[in-house]
Amino acid sequence: MFISTTRALTLGLMLVYLPISSSLASTPATTPTAMPVQAAAKAATHSTADHSKFEALKKSFASGPEVTQACLSCHTEAARQVQKTKHWTWEFMNPETKQRLGKKHVINNFCTAVPSNYEFCTACHVGYGWKDEKFDFTAQENVDCLVCHDTTGSYRKLPGLAGHPNYQDMEYPPHSGKVVKAPNLGEVARNVGKSSRANCGACHFYGGGGDAVKHGDLDSSMKNPSQYLDVHMAKDGLNFTCGTCHATAGHDVPGSRYAPTASDEKHGAHMRGKKDVNPATCQACHGTRPHSAKLAKLNDHADKIACQTCHIPEFARGGIPTKMSWDWSTAGKLDKDGKPFKLKDSGGHDAYDSKKGDFKYEDNVIPEYIWFNGKVNYTLLDTKLDPSQVIRINHFEGSPDDGKSKIWPIKRFTGKQPYDMVTNQLLIPHTYGKDDSSFWSNFNWDKALTTGMQAAGGEFSGKFAFVATEMSWPITHMVAPKTDALNCQQCHGANGRLDKVPGLYIPGRDANPWLDKAGWSIALLTLLGVIAHGGLRYLMAGKRTHGEQE
Amino acid sequence: MLKALAGFIVGIVVIGLTGWMLMPQLMFSERVSPFGMEETVARIQHNIQNTGNGWALSGLRNPARAVQGDGGNVLPVLMIEACSTQYSKPILKEDTVRFLSILMPCKISIYKKNDGKVYIGTMNAGLMGKMFGPMVGEVMGKVAADQKKFLHFDPNTPAPKMITPAIPASGASIPSLGGGGGC
Repeated sequence: MFISTTRALTLGLMLVYLPISSSLASTPATTPTAMPVQAAAKAATHSTADHSKFEALKKSFASGPEVTQACLSCHTEAARQVQKTKHWTWEFMNPETKQRLGKKHVINNFCTAVPSNYEFCTACHVGYGWKDEKFDFTAQENVDCLVCHDTTGSYRKLPGLAGHPNYQDMEYPPHSGKVVKAPNLGEVARNVGKSSRANCGACHFYGGGGDAVKHGDLDSSMKNPSQYLDVHMAKDGLNFTCGTCHATAGHDVPGSRYAPTASDEKHGAHMRGKKDVNPATCQACHGTRPHSAKLAKLNDHADKIACQTCHIPEFARGGIPTKMSWDWSTAGKLDKDGKPFKLKDSGGHDAYDSKKGDFKYEDNVIPEYIWFNGKVNYTLLDTKLDPSQVIRINHFEGSPDDGKSKIWPIKRFTGKQPYDMVTNQLLIPHTYGKDDSSFWSNFNWDKALTTGMQAAGGEFSGKFAFVATEMSWPITHMVAPKTDALNCQQCHGANGRLDKVPGLYIPGRDANPWLDKAGWSIALLTLLGVIAHGGLRYLMAGKRTHGEQE
Repeated sequence: MLKALAGFIVGIVVIGLTGWMLMPQLMFSERVSPFGMEETVARIQHNIQNTGNGWALSGLRNPARAVQGDGGNVLPVLMIEACSTQYSKPILKEDTVRFLSILMPCKISIYKKNDGKVYIGTMNAGLMGKMFGPMVGEVMGKVAADQKKFLHFDPNTPAPKMITPAIPASGASIPSLGGGGGC
C-alpha cells in the first residue's frame, strides 16, 4: 500500500513537473514561411475548384509573372482589383488630413523608408519586379497571386529580389549557411487556396525587418496561436483567419493603420458586406453593449474605453519579444578587422547590429494608454521639425472632450534617426544595395543619405545629425480570454493602468478633497458623539450607584 | 489586579497582531530591478556562479508558461533555483532539521507587475534560519550573506547571456546545470 502510494505520488509529481520544465524548452518557430498546411487545407476546404485539375496550371513555370498570366486566364478581373488596393499601390490618401501616405511616402523609425531601397522592401509588395521608380504599376502579370494564396508553405519572397521568389536555391540570410529552396511554382500554383494566417503573416508578422519587430500584437506566434494568446484565432478554438474579421471584397482588405476606426459606436454590429463600414472592429460583431446583463456596468465603459484596452492586457505574449527601440545613431561601428558585427542581449536577441544600431526588445509588454479619435498625423519628408523635441512620426489625436475619442492601448516605439541639420527635415538613407553608396555596404552615412534623398526627390544639405523619434501602434490583436481581461482594480486602484491618461475621474482611484474632508469630519463627529454619549452614561451610572450606596 | 491582567493580555494581542502583520515583510523581500526580465535573470545567474561557496544553478522555472498551457495569461515569472552542497549538507545530515529540505533549492523569483516594472523576490534566509536552532541559524546566515552577493549588480558590465537549463532526456526530475547536487 505504502509503495503504491509513493509511486502514485512520484508519478503525480513528475506529471506536474514535466509540463513546467518542458515549457522552458519550447520556443515558437520563427521562420517567415507559411506552415506546410497543404494537406490540412485540402481536407478543410469548401472550394468548388480543384486547381490541380486546371489545364492552364498543368505545366512548369519559370517565373512568378508566368503563373499570374495563367491565373488571369480564368480570374480575369483579379489583377485589376488588386491594382486598386493599398497592397499594390503602397499609397493612401488620408481623406481627413489630406496627407499622402502609404509605404511609398511615409518615413518610419524602423527601416525608415522605401525609396532607394526598393529591391529589399518590395519583398512584401504583392507584385513582381519593383526594383526602382520605373516599376510598371499597370502590368497585370506583375501582380503576385501566390504570396496571398499559396497553401504549400514553400513560397517565399526574400528581401533583395524585388518581390520575386528565389528561382534558384539561395543562401539566406547571406553567409548564414542556410539554404532557402527555390519553390516549385507549378506545384504552388496547383495548390492555391484562401488566404491563411500564414499568408498574411508572411509579411505582417515580420514588419520592420524581422519577427515581431514592428507591431507588438502581430508575430509568428499568431500563425497557430493557442487559446491564451488569441481567443479568435486560436487553432484549438474559433480558428479565425485574418480574413474572418478583415472581410475582403474585390481583393480590397479593410482595416488601416493610417486611418484606424477608433470608435465604432455609430455602426455597431452589422451584416457582412455592408459598404463603407469597417468590418474589422470589435463592435462589427459584438455590438456596442457586448457584456451580458449580469455585467451591464461594463457596458457603461464602452463609450469611452476601446474593447482592446481591457481585453488585450499585454502584447507580445506569444513568447517572441517585440522591438521597443531602435537607435540608428550608433550604427556603423566595425570590429578590429573592419568588419560589421552583432551583439546579443541576455535573451539572445540582437542588441546591436553594425548595419542598424542599438535595439531593445521586450515581451509581455504592458501597453501605454491614450485618447484616440482615429485621426493620425504623420511627419513626412517635407515636414519641418524641432530637433530639440521628440519627433512624433505619427501623432495619434484624441482628447477626453471631443466626443469621438476612446482610450486605446498602444505600443510606443522610440528611436533615433537621421535628419538634416539645415532643412530640419527627416532624411532617408539608402540602406540596401549592391552599389557603393548603400549604408549596409560601406557604412558611410554621407553617401547613404545623399543617394537616399536623391531617390526620394528630397533635399539634403550634407549636414546631418540624429533626432529622437517615436511611433505609436494601436494594439488590437492578441485578444486574451475574457477571464484574463483587466479587472476593476487594475484601473480603479492606486497606480492603475490609466494613471497617465488625462481628463479622467476614476472612482476608487481619484478623490475630491472637499468631499473627503466632509466625510472625515462627519466620521470624527460621530466618533466624538459616541465617546461623549458613552462617557456621560458611564458617569451618570457611577453617580447613580454612588447615590444608592449612600 | 484585574486591570493589570487585562492590560497584559491586550499588550500581548497587540504585539501578536503587529507581528502577524509584519511577518510577510520580514520573511520575504521584494525590490525593483533596474533591468528587464531576461537581463535580471542572467545577471543573477552569473552572480550565483561567481559567488563560490559551492553554489551552482539547479534550474530555471517558468510557471507562467504552465498557465499559458492551460489557456490563461499571467505576467512573466521566472524562478532561479540554486543550491550549495556546502550549506545543504549539514542540514540534510541532521534528522531533526531535515524537513528544511523543503526550502531547497534556494529560489529567487523575478517577475513583472502591472506597473510594467521587473521585481526580484527573495526569502529572508537569515531570519528564517534563526527559528530553527543555532546550527541552521549559522548556515542560513551564510546563505543570506551570499544572497546579497547574488543581487549585487554592476551596471558597467555588459549584459550576460541568460542560462537556460538543459531539459532532462527522461526520468530525471530536475534539470541540472552542473552540480547543484544535494538539493
